[in-house]
Amino acid sequence: MTANRRDFLKASLAGVGLIGAGSGAPLFLSRTAAAVPAADKAGAKDTILVVIELTGGNDGLNTVVPFNDPEYAKLRPTLRQTPAQVKKINDQLGLHPSLAGFAELLQDNVLCIVQGVGYPNPNQSHFRSMDIWQTASLNENVSEGWLGKALKGLPGAPSFHLKSNNEASPLALEGAPVRVPSIATLEEFQLQLAAASGADKKEQRDIIESAARSNGGPGLLDFVQRTASNTYASSRRLQEIGKNYQPQTPYPNTPLGGRLKLAAQLIDAGLGARLFYVAHGNFDTHATQAPTHANLLAQLSQAVTAFFKDIAARGHRDRVLVMTFSEFGRRAKENGSRGTDHGSAAPMFLIGGKVKPGPVGEHPSLTQLEFGNLKHHTDFRQVYAAILDRWLGVSSKDILGAEFSHAAIFKS
Amino acid sequence: MAGAGVKNLDPLWAWQPYRPSTEAPWNLPRVGHLYRRAAFGATYAELQAGLKAGPEALLDQLLKGGPGLAEFDAQMASLAQSIARYNDATHLRAWWLARMLHSPHPLQEKITLFWHNHFATSYAKVQSARFMLGQYELLRRHALGRFSELLRAMSSDPAMLIWLDGRDSKKGNPNENYARELMELFSLGIGHYTEKDVREAARAFTGWEIQGTKAVFNAQQHDDGVKTVLGQTGNWNADDIVRICLEQKSAAPFLVAKLYRFFISETAAPSPELLAPLAQQFRNSDYDFGALVKTMLASNLFFSSHAYRTRIKSPVDFVLNIVRGLEGAIDATALAQSLEQLGQNLFSPPSVKGWDGGKSWLNGQTLLFRQNLALALTSTEDARFGRRCDPAALARKYHKETDAELVDFFLHLFLQGDVAAQTRMRLLHYQQQAHKLPAPVYWTQQDSADQRVRSLCHLVLTLPEFQLD
Repeated sequence: MTANRRDFLKASLAGVGLIGAGSGAPLFLSRTAAAVPAADKAGAKDTILVVIELTGGNDGLNTVVPFNDPEYAKLRPTLRQTPAQVKKINDQLGLHPSLAGFAELLQDNVLCIVQGVGYPNPNQSHFRSMDIWQTASLNENVSEGWLGKALKGLPGAPSFHLKSNNEASPLALEGAPVRVPSIATLEEFQLQLAAASGADKKEQRDIIESAARSNGGPGLLDFVQRTASNTYASSRRLQEIGKNYQPQTPYPNTPLGGRLKLAAQLIDAGLGARLFYVAHGNFDTHATQAPTHANLLAQLSQAVTAFFKDIAARGHRDRVLVMTFSEFGRRAKENGSRGTDHGSAAPMFLIGGKVKPGPVGEHPSLTQLEFGNLKHHTDFRQVYAAILDRWLGVSSKDILGAEFSHAAIFKS
Repeated sequence: MAGAGVKNLDPLWAWQPYRPSTEAPWNLPRVGHLYRRAAFGATYAELQAGLKAGPEALLDQLLKGGPGLAEFDAQMASLAQSIARYNDATHLRAWWLARMLHSPHPLQEKITLFWHNHFATSYAKVQSARFMLGQYELLRRHALGRFSELLRAMSSDPAMLIWLDGRDSKKGNPNENYARELMELFSLGIGHYTEKDVREAARAFTGWEIQGTKAVFNAQQHDDGVKTVLGQTGNWNADDIVRICLEQKSAAPFLVAKLYRFFISETAAPSPELLAPLAQQFRNSDYDFGALVKTMLASNLFFSSHAYRTRIKSPVDFVLNIVRGLEGAIDATALAQSLEQLGQNLFSPPSVKGWDGGKSWLNGQTLLFRQNLALALTSTEDARFGRRCDPAALARKYHKETDAELVDFFLHLFLQGDVAAQTRMRLLHYQQQAHKLPAPVYWTQQDSADQRVRSLCHLVLTLPEFQLD
């Protein structure tokens, strides 16, 4: 795509919701050159963050495995991964055997593993704990998400929630200046009309779009109108891009694979997209965990690896950061159903050309448990803070409400 | 519609039965409102009849259901046999949607949907259409009955025993999944119990197994030791835990608030004072849910501006309002499948919390799916629905011919005429000038006229007001 075409697209997307809140001139034009960090540094304006939610509570202990710890075998009599099975990180730690792709990324020095991540007084409700992670706040009834808030500081940054059919827009994206569009596929993201002629079609579209124009009426109607007008405008523009996308590496034929391929397509279209959110699950493995967990991790590893290779081959290796998180890990000791109940601390993965490769922090102790759960030593907001300040270039203090020391996830 | 200020709602006024008055007359918007919330929308004839009948008679009819329920149930039961035998989830979804469309007692189905969302169990894990059907029957049997009985029965429902791992929960090795959600999502709400309550209660639910197609209690695997749950100590079993939960002060307000969101409003959270009289009534009646439903639907508040168009239509409501309104005789299988894209795949809620509802129903993608589905249903050219849901045929049935008659007919049918004057003018202008637009040469005059009516109907269904419930 030529620079002119890219600028034309950016300009035409501004003010319709895909770029910025629109205050007349497209915001990317009004920004002064001094405010733009050098493009070769982390925190440059064109960095991209892909957040992958592992829905349901991923079993961290069987994801990054302390295979040499004798306590591990005791806690996991039926679910344990043996030293021969794991993909070794070092002589203590190994990745679940399904994470073969992640092992490759580790060899390429683009995989960072932050161990023992959680927060004080862990909550074991899926929904409460997910809210805590998504709002980056331990307070209840917070209506804005950490990424939505971050977008306030990123004017002109198109963002996408890449959704599956039964999935609503995540709380993490609430509070954005312009509602982040949810998209399943580009083909389905358009308004269909049956009309007698082209002129008729235009008349119908005019009526539909004018009805969607908000006149600041009562709350819910206004919400529908804003969603609708934003959507119609976005869908019109997106029809122009991304056709005939040829990935540089094959993607697995899985839902997550499809969504990450769409992310690559949107990145490659040169819209200046900064933020993507996808969910993968369900990790709530209370019973007969082994096959489900292995399958979900394999899907994660295969899709992320394909995405990263594809993006890297297109020259975006150092622009992209993938982050995984789950609302909690699981109980250290397996239950009587060959599964695990809700727990707390767990590892997070970060993938990208600028990450500090390898494990960060110790594996939580298997003997000093808290109500049977692993204790965290790193607050997830320390990871968020590093990403906000150093990767997205927005003030973490404003978004998190306090100063958090950065987790050491980037190369210094 | 008139009503007192949101913050100063008088609970006494709010829950007294609505009586038509000059400020709050019995009119078409109120008839439509009741049919949307207490059923799945209405036909043109039903709206007119409801207007004549008055609020009491219409509500009474909706609460009791029409004649022929027993025959209908028998017919549907025979259709369900093959669903269980062949583990056919696709037809199970279609079967329920057909029940919602055709049952003489739509309120019963609507409340069953409320319970399905409350005890949100998914085929994705249960993998048995027989058990999902069994849970549906349980929910419908108790839909307008006592919540206490329903909650007790749920402890040994086979689908639930699989969904929340009760069948794997054994003495010495309890599985906490069901005990936690019982307190968090089914009866008390978060913050009204401790982690210790969850772990202790889990022991009381041990011992249930599934043998063949039945849930069976195995005393050998049940932990009959002493447990302390929510301050009460004893060798409790499953029924005891349900009893203890329902003795908590937080249980009744938790359920009442959930029903409030379902029937009254998603936009403003009600104050505890507003809900207090209903919570008291609910608890004092041993959790008589039918009585609670009746009080809410009959109330001043229900027929006030605080309730009117203060919800987003769920996908089920969206599609059924269209099909019922158009008196369509379409294939429920295709319709049920389309619900998945809209975000409400029946028998497959996204998590045990159910569908979040409200604003979460609508995002860029689901809005486009809705508008495109409305087109598929009204265009008569879609392979899934064909000509069996034809706005042009419906307009002929009610003798609507002129441009103005047609515009008003569809606006009344789907929005009871309650749209801005400008919207009506735009539609009328479209309808008038559409005569002049070119059409394919092979269309007859009738083809062109029918096409205009179908497009008009689609345009009405794409209005933002139609997304509101």
